[in-house]
Order: sequence, then structure tokens, then C-alpha cells
Amino acid sequence: MVRRLTAIAGAVFLDAIKRRVVYAVLFFAAILAFSAPSLPSYGVGVDVGVYREVALSLTFAAAMVLALALAANRIPSEVERRTVYNVTSKAVSRWEYVVGTWLGITAVMGAVIAAFTVIDQLVGLGRYGQPMWQLWQGAVAIWFEMGVLTAFAVAVSALSGAVVVTVATLTFAFVGHSRQPVLQQFPAFPAWLYPSLDTFNVINPVAHGSGIGAVYVFLMALVFVGWVTALLAMGSMGFARRDL
Amino acid sequence: MSDSPQSAPVAAIRIDGARKVYTVFPQTQRVAVDDVTLEVPQGAIHGLLGPNGAGKTTTLKMLLGLVRPAAGTFRVLGVDSRTRAGRAQLGFLPEQPYFPPQLTARQAMRLYARLSGVPEREIAARTTELLDRVGLEGRASTQLAAFSRGMLQRLGIAQAIVSRPKVVVLDEPASGLDPLGQRDVRNLMLQLRDEGATVLLSSHQLSEAEAVCDRVSIMSRGRVAAEGPIADLLSVAGRTTIRVGGLQALPQAVWGRAADVVPEGDLIGFSVQDADVRAAIDGVYDAGGAVIEVEPKRESLEDYFTRMLADEKGEVA
Repeated sequence: MVRRLTAIAGAVFLDAIKRRVVYAVLFFAAILAFSAPSLPSYGVGVDVGVYREVALSLTFAAAMVLALALAANRIPSEVERRTVYNVTSKAVSRWEYVVGTWLGITAVMGAVIAAFTVIDQLVGLGRYGQPMWQLWQGAVAIWFEMGVLTAFAVAVSALSGAVVVTVATLTFAFVGHSRQPVLQQFPAFPAWLYPSLDTFNVINPVAHGSGIGAVYVFLMALVFVGWVTALLAMGSMGFARRDL
Repeated sequence: MSDSPQSAPVAAIRIDGARKVYTVFPQTQRVAVDDVTLEVPQGAIHGLLGPNGAGKTTTLKMLLGLVRPAAGTFRVLGVDSRTRAGRAQLGFLPEQPYFPPQLTARQAMRLYARLSGVPEREIAARTTELLDRVGLEGRASTQLAAFSRGMLQRLGIAQAIVSRPKVVVLDEPASGLDPLGQRDVRNLMLQLRDEGATVLLSSHQLSEAEAVCDRVSIMSRGRVAAEGPIADLLSVAGRTTIRVGGLQALPQAVWGRAADVVPEGDLIGFSVQDADVRAAIDGVYDAGGAVIEVEPKRESLEDYFTRMLADEKGEVA
């Protein structure tokens, strides 16, 4: 099972990492990172914090674009082009195909987010003379969230096309980060039922505070595993019942 | 006793009562495959023939677990072919195969070898061997985005047999190949049979099927319309084909008995009733001609299809 999962994930990784969209997003994100310190709104004494916030926000936005570009059309195009037949006609379970695909894309996202963070660090070091190691805490949180969003996109794409996947994933991300205002608006709604991604939002403590602790990282990992397991289970069940 | 059910070798492929119904929006149902039964003995090349839309590919997809059947059982070497254990016995070439374009041929073969359970230490050698065998030597490091249609087809065949499967299912294997490539595929199928594998060939290229198949099943409108050795299916009962040379035209004594008269270069081909063969040959010799060939009349598979489809339309009407 592990061999099959890593084989699929490895092929997805190799295929995705060579796509031009990865380097295009990386390129433009780097340009934005280099230009961030020149933004005029920095106040005296808070410029480092603002830079860190902008850097993490840029990383999040670029990672989100890339996650959608890689995940939304992966399974639909494999079904449409029939590349999926070469995998699912072998002794491979449908869930292994879904999970392997997710693993491959999430690995690419990890590599790309790491590259973003190195660029952010280099710019920060050059401009402010600080290595800004705490940016890696934010990078881990962003990678966790992208893993969840990718799992959602893969799950929806197991049953639907790229446009629906993109819209649904954006909606999921928006709803996931709107828990507090929505619950304030509708206090009768059971809070435990509301899908929240706020756990992964660590921009404030990382950019303006002292960062997050190991316990919080562990908590994020638990939430990540819970989300991913639930979403991939649903996606696998849907894909298993689908005619290819 | 030797042909008792207990001692009979298990069929390589056995499909019983396969049925597939597609629901088309909003509520229309279309029967793609209806009560298809098929048995392929071990070590045979069996052709699954039929016009486009006959249900061949859907039948194969049900066999491979790619499509959920409405009814039917599907077994490969006695194992449910829709399970992982069943699919482990199979190699499959889909129609017009396509692969992740950013991978190289070697990376793709490595993926399919690992998925097929080929031991890690054998993958490199097996990849080289198979790429050579399908005519892709020297292309292992080429990205698949740069492969032509024919090269992808060849890679598809290589991945189908990477684990030395006992049963190989090929869906239109000659599609996209030039004549030399088609010959290579035919030879490959014969080699696989010689090595003990069973081949189920789905094709609408009838010459391909005629060249290699031991038996064929002909599908039409989702059903098996005919099944048997190809020579039996195509022979026209009661008629014989004769080819003669050394004549400008058929003599009068022969002309009256002949049908399907076709000039073939210096030869003339025609058919007669079996009872008239002796008289036709005598008539040719009396006119100074020579008899080149006498054989039972066979219709072409194209003609067979055309007649079969026309018969079915007649039944419907």
C-alpha cells in the first residue's frame, strides 16, 4: 500500500513540479516580496512586523493560487485524458489514487512554500538585517492550510469538474475563515458544526508577536489530520462509485 | 473423466451476463451492454470486434473495474477481475493511451512497474527491455510531452505488460500506428501468446483481428451477435471463390454460373455455387485459361458487419 501511494505521489510530484505555472507564481511572488519593503505605509518601529505580515500574506495568496491550479484540474483532466486508466486498471484501490494524488500535490506545495519563505527571509535579511526565522512558523501553518484546501479540492474534483472545484474551494476557504463574524450574526447556529480554518491563521503572532509554541503547532497538526482524513475519505468514497 | 468440471482448466477470462445501463439526463436510460457472455481460454488470442458504439470498450471497462456493471460477473483466471487481486493478473492498454506529459518514459514506466508490483531491483532492467521491445529504445529520457501518438501507443503497450501479466487486454492497440508499427503489435501479440499469456483484443481494424485471433466475438448494439473461429464466421456456405489467369474475359460457359466477378490485375476472380466448381474449372481450361486458386468463399469482415447491421435494422423495422 505504501509503495503504491508513494509511487502515485511521486509521479504527481514530478509532473506538477515541472509545470510552468509553479515557476510563474514563484516568480511573481518573488517580485512582490522584493517590492514589499518599499511600500509607503510602514510606520517607524513597526516596519519589520508589517513586512513579515505582508510576506506571509503574499505566501498565503500565492500558495492558494497554486493549490487551486494544481489540485482543481488534476483528477478531472486525468479522467478526461484517460491517464487514470493506466493507474486504476492495475492493482490499485481508488482511495490509493485519491490519497496519492493529494500527497503529491501537498508535497509540491511544501516545496513551493519553502521556496517562498526562503525568498521572504533573504529579502528581510537584506532590507532589515534580520533572518526572521519565525517566518517558518507561518510557513508551516500555511502549508497545513493548503493541505486542507488541497484535500477539499481533490475530494470535490473526484466527482466534479475544475470550475466547480475552484469555486467550491474558494467558498470553503472563505467560509472557513469567517467563523467568528458569522456566529456573531447567527448566535443560534451550533458553533461546533461550523467548519473553521482559523486554527491555521497565525499571521498576527508570527508577524507582530513572539510566534507560536510547539503545543500550538501540534494542535494545528491534529486539526490538519482531522480535516484531511475526513475530506479524503469523502473524496475516496465518491471516486470509488464513479464510472471512469 | 478428463473433461469433468473439476479438471477443466479455468478460463483466462469469463464474463457472464454483463449489463451496463447509462442514465442520460434527465431520466433517459441507454443500455450500452446487455447480457454479454464471453469465455476466453488460457493461451488464446480472442478478438472482441464490432463497430463503434457496439459496447466493446464498456465491456472491457467493466472487466477491469473501471465502470460499475448493472449486472454480471467478471472473472480472470477464476478471480473476480474487479478486485485488486483480479486486476493484479491483468495488463491493460486503453484506447489512445495518454500519460502525464511532464514525465519521461523511464519515470512513467517506473510508476507503472511499481503500481504493478514489479520488484524494485528489476524495474530498471525491465524498463530498458520493454522500451526496446516496443521500439522506443533511446527514448527513456524523453519527456512524454514530446512523444508522438504512435510513441504513446507503444509506451501504452509497454506499461500493459510490465508485470508479465497472464492476461493482457488491448483496446485498439494498432490505433495511431503506421503499418510497420501495426505489424510490430501483431508480432507482439503472437509472442505474448507463445509465452503463455492470453490476449483479449478489442478492435475495429478487422485485418488486425483476422491476422492474429484464434476466435472472435462480434458485438453489435451492446450484445454478442456472433462468436467463433473467424474462418467459420466469414465463410459463405455453399459458395467457392476461383481465381483464373490467361483469359481476357470469362468464357460464356463460366459466365452464366459466376457471381462477384472482379478483375485483379492479370487475374479474374469470381465465385460459383459449390456444385458448379467442376464445370467452371473445365470451362476455364477449355478456353485456354489457367486456374490459379480455388478456396471456400469468405466474405470480408467489413461485409459481415454491413450485412449484420442491415439484418438488425431489418429486424427492428
